Amino acid sequence: MSARAPRPAWMAHACLACGRRSWLLAEMSGPLDFCARDRGRLTETLALDDDELLLALGGRRKAQLRARHGQFCVGELRLDPPGVEAVCRHDPQYPPTLCDAGGPRMLYVLGGVRRLEQVAARPVVAIVGTRRPSDYGSEVARSLARGLAAAGLTVASCLDDGIALAAQAGALEVDGATVAVTGGGLGVSRPARTRSLRSRVARRGCVISEVPCDRPGRMWGAAASERIVARLSCLTVVVEAAEVESELSAARVAGALGRPLAAVPGRVTSHLSAGSNGLLAEGARVVRGAQDVLDLLHPTAAPRLLGEDTGPRSDLAPRLRTTLEDVGSGCDTPEALAAKGASLEDVLLALSELELMGLLSRGDGGRYIPCGARGPL
Amino acid sequence: MAISRARYSAVYPARFILLAATNPCPCGYAGDGDRCVCSEADMARHRRRLSGPLLDRIDLLVNLHRSPGGELDGPASLTSAEGLEQVTLARGRQAERLRQHGISINAQMDVRVLSQHVRLDEKGSKMMRAARESGLLSARGEHRVLRVARTIADLDGSERVRARDLGAAIALRASPVMPASRAA
Repeated sequence: MSARAPRPAWMAHACLACGRRSWLLAEMSGPLDFCARDRGRLTETLALDDDELLLALGGRRKAQLRARHGQFCVGELRLDPPGVEAVCRHDPQYPPTLCDAGGPRMLYVLGGVRRLEQVAARPVVAIVGTRRPSDYGSEVARSLARGLAAAGLTVASCLDDGIALAAQAGALEVDGATVAVTGGGLGVSRPARTRSLRSRVARRGCVISEVPCDRPGRMWGAAASERIVARLSCLTVVVEAAEVESELSAARVAGALGRPLAAVPGRVTSHLSAGSNGLLAEGARVVRGAQDVLDLLHPTAAPRLLGEDTGPRSDLAPRLRTTLEDVGSGCDTPEALAAKGASLEDVLLALSELELMGLLSRGDGGRYIPCGARGPL
Repeated sequence: MAISRARYSAVYPARFILLAATNPCPCGYAGDGDRCVCSEADMARHRRRLSGPLLDRIDLLVNLHRSPGGELDGPASLTSAEGLEQVTLARGRQAERLRQHGISINAQMDVRVLSQHVRLDEKGSKMMRAARESGLLSARGEHRVLRVARTIADLDGSERVRARDLGAAIALRASPVMPASRAA
C-alpha cells in the first residue's frame, strides 16, 4: 500500500494525510474558486475535513475523487523548484499561530522548514494594501518594512503587486528575513515580475504556499494566502487601500480573527487611501512609521529605533530641509516649488542634491517623493 | 541617412535633434486626479515601450501637468524673441570655445574635449560621484549630464560649470527607475 512506501525527503515534516489533503484542495480548485467570492465561506470550507469537503464541493466528481482519495500516493504531488519542503500542522516545527481550525493543514516552503519556524517565532507584522498604490503608499510600505526588519521583526506579506511587494523589497534592503505567502504554487511564477524577488526572499526568509507547487492559485489561492498572512502576524498594517472590498479583504480577514489592525493615514482627498482612512475611523490604530508599530507591540517599553532621526536628515542645510518639507507636504514638482518663490535653478539644484542623498526619489509624472535615506552624500 | 534608388544610392550626413512627446498612460489621464482608468497591466505595457536604454539617451525630460487655469492666459514668461537671443548668445560662446577643436556645439564634444572644458568645482565633483555610485547615472548618462550642464551654464553666461548647472541637468534627465519596477 502506498502508505507504507518510504516518504521522500521533502516530506520529512509532513504526514501523508495532510499531503493527501493538499492534493484534494488542488483537485477542487474550481469549486473553491466559486466559494472564494465570499471570504468567510471560503474560510469555513477550508476548515472542513476531507470527507466533508468532498461532500460539500465534490459535485459530480464525488465518487471519482473519493476513489482517488483512497488510493492517493505521495508521487501525485509534484515538486517543482528544488529545495521545496513540505510541513504539516502535526509537525512540531509548524508555526503555532497557524495551528487553529481555520489555518492551513500543510504548507510548501522554500527556504527551509527550520527557518520558517525561527522566522515565525519572532514578532511578525503583516503589511497589506492595494495592488495599485500611489508613490506615497509604495514608499511608506517600503520604509515601514525596512524599519521593522532592521529592528529584528519579521515582515509578512503576500507576493502581490503594490504594497505587499514594496514591503518585501523594503525588508530585503536591510537583509531582513521575511515571509512571503504566494497565492499560487511555488513552481508557478505569476506574475513574472515577482520571480527575482521570490528568490531573494527565499535566500533570507521563506516563501510559503498552501497550493501544491505545480498549480496556479487562482482566486481561492489568493484568499487562502490572505488568511495565512493574517494568522502568522500579531499585527496587520494596512498601508493604502481604496474603499473597495478587494483591497480591504486582507484587513477584514485579520479583523475577523480578532487580530489587531492598524492603518497608515493617507490624504483625505485621495481615493486611494479612502479604505485605509475608513479603517482608522472604525478604530484601527494609527501607524506613521516603524516606531509606532513597535509602540503598539510593546505598550510598556518599546525599543527605540536607531537611525530614524539621526543621519543625513538631521544635518541638512536649511534650504534643503525646507525643500524636503515642501515636497513632503505636497509641493512635489519643480514648477510647484518654483511657484513658491525660489528660482527654478535653486529648486532643481536642491531636488537633485536631495535625490543624490537618497532622501527623495522620483515617481510617476516626475513628481518627487520623500523616502528613507540610503546613505549620506 | 541612406537613400537607395534604382540607379544609385547615397548616404547623407544627418544631425538631428529628437523631440518626442508621450502620454503617461494609454488613457492619458494618469496623475490627473482620479480620471485614469488604466489597469496595472495597461500601464506596464505602456511603460515598456520606452525602454531603459532609450530613456538613458534622452537628455531632457519635462513632465507637463494640467495647468491650474489662468496660466495659459497670462503673459509669456519668455517671448520667442528673447529665447532666440539667449540661444544665439549661448551658441556664440560655444562656437568660440570649441573652434580650436573643429566643432561648434556642445553636442559634438567627445569625452576628451568634455574633460578639458567641463571642469567641476568640489561640490559638483561630489555630486557626480554620488550619482555614479548610487547608480542614478550610467557612464553614458554621466557624459550626457556634463554636456547638458555645460549648455545650461552657457545659457546663463557662466564660463564655469557650477553645481546649480549640474543640479539642473540631473533633474532634467529621465528618472532612471520607473516606480513599478522599483519594488521588484
